[in-house]
Amino acid sequence: MFEINELILKKAKELGFGDVVVLAYEQNRRQVRFANNEITVAKNWHTQKVNLFVEYQKRLASTTLTALDEKTIEKTLQMLMKSVKNLAPKEDYYGIAEGPFEYKDIPETFDKAIVELDEPNEYVEVAINAALEEGAKRTAGVLYTDHNKLYLTTSNGVEAFDEGTGIEISIRAFIGDEESGHGTNSVRVLKKFDPESAGRKAGEIAKMAVNPVQGEAGTFDVIFDPLAFANLMSYMSFMASAFAVEAGFSFLVGKLGQKVANDIVTIKDVGNMPNAYGTRKFDDEGVPTRETTIIENGTLNTYLLNTSFARKYKRETTANAGLLMPEAWNVYVGPGDYSKEELFSEVKRGIYITNVWYTRFQNYVTGDFSTIPRDGAFLIENGEIVKPIRNIRVSDNFQHILESIAALGKDLYHIHWWEVNTPVFTPYVLVKDVGITRATK
Amino acid sequence: MHELVEFAVEKAQELGASYAEARFEEKNGTEIVMKNGNPEGLGILADRGIGIRVLVNGGMGFASTNVLTKESVEEAVKKAVKLAKAAAKLRNRPIQFSEEDFHQVFYEVKMKKDFRNVSAEEKMEYLKLIEESVKETGVNTPMRFLRYGDFMWHKVFMNNEGALVESLIPRVSITYNLVVFEDGQMEQAPFVQRAFSGGLELIEKDKPWEWAVKDVKALQKLIKEGQKPPEGKVDLVLAPEVAGIAVHESVGHPYELDRIMGREAAQAGESFVKPEMLGERIGSEAVTVIEDPTIPNSWGFYLYDDEGVKARPRYLIREGIINEFLMNREYAAYLGMKSNAAARAINYNREPIVRMANTYLAPGDYSFEELIEDVKLGVYMVSFNEWNIDDRRYQQRYIGREAYLIENGEIKHPVRRPILEITTKGLWSSVDAVGKEVEFYPGTCGKGEPGQGVPVWMGGAHARLRDVVLRR
Repeated sequence: MFEINELILKKAKELGFGDVVVLAYEQNRRQVRFANNEITVAKNWHTQKVNLFVEYQKRLASTTLTALDEKTIEKTLQMLMKSVKNLAPKEDYYGIAEGPFEYKDIPETFDKAIVELDEPNEYVEVAINAALEEGAKRTAGVLYTDHNKLYLTTSNGVEAFDEGTGIEISIRAFIGDEESGHGTNSVRVLKKFDPESAGRKAGEIAKMAVNPVQGEAGTFDVIFDPLAFANLMSYMSFMASAFAVEAGFSFLVGKLGQKVANDIVTIKDVGNMPNAYGTRKFDDEGVPTRETTIIENGTLNTYLLNTSFARKYKRETTANAGLLMPEAWNVYVGPGDYSKEELFSEVKRGIYITNVWYTRFQNYVTGDFSTIPRDGAFLIENGEIVKPIRNIRVSDNFQHILESIAALGKDLYHIHWWEVNTPVFTPYVLVKDVGITRATK
Repeated sequence: MHELVEFAVEKAQELGASYAEARFEEKNGTEIVMKNGNPEGLGILADRGIGIRVLVNGGMGFASTNVLTKESVEEAVKKAVKLAKAAAKLRNRPIQFSEEDFHQVFYEVKMKKDFRNVSAEEKMEYLKLIEESVKETGVNTPMRFLRYGDFMWHKVFMNNEGALVESLIPRVSITYNLVVFEDGQMEQAPFVQRAFSGGLELIEKDKPWEWAVKDVKALQKLIKEGQKPPEGKVDLVLAPEVAGIAVHESVGHPYELDRIMGREAAQAGESFVKPEMLGERIGSEAVTVIEDPTIPNSWGFYLYDDEGVKARPRYLIREGIINEFLMNREYAAYLGMKSNAAARAINYNREPIVRMANTYLAPGDYSFEELIEDVKLGVYMVSFNEWNIDDRRYQQRYIGREAYLIENGEIKHPVRRPILEITTKGLWSSVDAVGKEVEFYPGTCGKGEPGQGVPVWMGGAHARLRDVVLRR
């Protein structure tokens, strides 16, 4: 693909473009979806495409090319030039990173065994059987295998290549209509794949959730399962982006250097984490990915930046380009020192929430939101789970949640599924005084 | 392109598929983003490819490619057939499709002002107009995210049962997020969208800049004059925007038959509705909910679905009674019925699944004044921000953005964030009157994995709910 990248770059420069980024993908993705303990559909995608970003005197344009012949390339570039030429400039554009850079191999991001895996259905069966063994009556979920190649060429001297694999499963187990549990497992190398643990967790929670009673509204201490807390943290990946902050989609607006969470809270983006689903060697400008501490001991340390935002704010890039919109690779919530049992023993009367979905904001800048517990939720009394509850809603404020984190588990879990698009590493989390509401009619 | 589509269908049959379909899709369009007055950039959309779906031994396989050569398409067909064969081994019952009448048709939505003939610079003018109109109000609006988008959606669908459907549907939209900051307080109108199937004349007629002005003025008034809403049992009048989200979430979604049958259980969830609930009462006699893909120029417009079945209006609730589910061929067959053309895919590389198009609360015979005049104490909820619903589509909540107190039959001052948290049956049983005029609001409906955000309209007439509990 590098020959095509070079060709595009050469033609773009000839036409008079300034900054040019050519990011080519070659992707092989396979999916097995299942429901009611049987496969509903199996899919395969093979995609070749080039994401192209060009700049002409501070005027920006981007497109994706899927036909990669010379004629299409020339035509596309001419059309881009014609389109941007008359646009007003983006006055706060400050360019892309100066390469070249050196890249290190990141452990556990590529595994030939996944590329050569002929038939992944046995893993689906393993997960389904584990959930059924725990007492589930039916299961639904999805398995993916991934093999991606990335070729990056920029007008500032970058030529970079990355190749990665992954396999993951997400499974939900049901007993009746309202008794369900969910488990996931996402890895980059086959020998670490554990679909059984995902199925078992889903089944265990579904079994615990049998015969739920209506939950009460009020203020409760809540233990968020990693699956549940990851959903909330996945919104951090967007809200920490300098773009989201400027556009009014973040509760972090104007809070750099301020306390936004309890002292025990540290949240990072780690783009180069081994065996993590979002890991890449470099960002969209070619800057080597790294660890960026967004919130350090409760204080907002930085937004996620690309080179242009970094220059605008007189900072260093955090290697999170997205050229228009910086974004997180893997959100990482720093662990505490509680075992799961110790965390539960801290709660006199509270709720254990195993999963949430449908998180929506009343106001992004104030951070007011609600989210709905999905799958088993349980009342805790004196450190023990006493009964399953249903039909409640978490209605609170994002910053209040972060400020009220009272304890963190010591083990981190890697969560990536339909509702958690940006991967999140998080422990079990105890949050004090969480608003819980319920329907009134 | 027809030859390649036909080749895919024939090849799949040769390789053993009992059912085969191929769908070529091409999207060409423009996106322009402006943030706080700065043109952020121009995006050109140019995407095309073929998706092939097959049934072999009762298993379903899907594969797609964007390399439009015979070799590449053949490779994709082989993969789809192989995947279907393997999937069949892990099935208790073979997948079958309902019997349908198929057509060979071409249809298109004409544009009076064709966006393909208009420069990016001119399209940027729409966003500038929003910027200027908002500035002219004098309302302090420090964060302004604006987006213009258009694309021509070209599809060619063919199956081995005689369907050949080609369509050309242009779509235009403008989206904004506006943050109003006055007197040390902040209110927000996020992701407000105006969107249509058709040309730029629809944007010019709709005037999104006037919607934006209305929004920032309402938010300013809310900051300056807003009071706490009443608490406890009151009457509630939902404007079409709020009625629209409520019918979409609590009627459209739970009536999707694939969801009812558990296919989406791990993703978009299940449903409180069961097949045997057809004919059961779910709301008052005032409530009729219609799902209609065929509304001209609607954001969710289509005349044939992505399985080649001809579309028609679907009455999900008729006078309070559950009347019809949304179906594709696979799930219609389970009930021994015919599909009602709800199968949609967002792109060539996605499978068609059961989706909504344009869902609305059908009009009644009350004027707006009649709805308000005998409300002693209540709230008029014009628009909403936060909303969500559980995955069985029973417990939901809507929080008002623009909302007003109703007292003794008159609309009074704005109220801040009235909260309606209610069950589906509770909501639709409380409706005692519905207005005459229908309005629609666009949205992007999420479902499927990988996610498929499909364009939909939601709306309806005003609805009056009696004796519902409101919270602050």
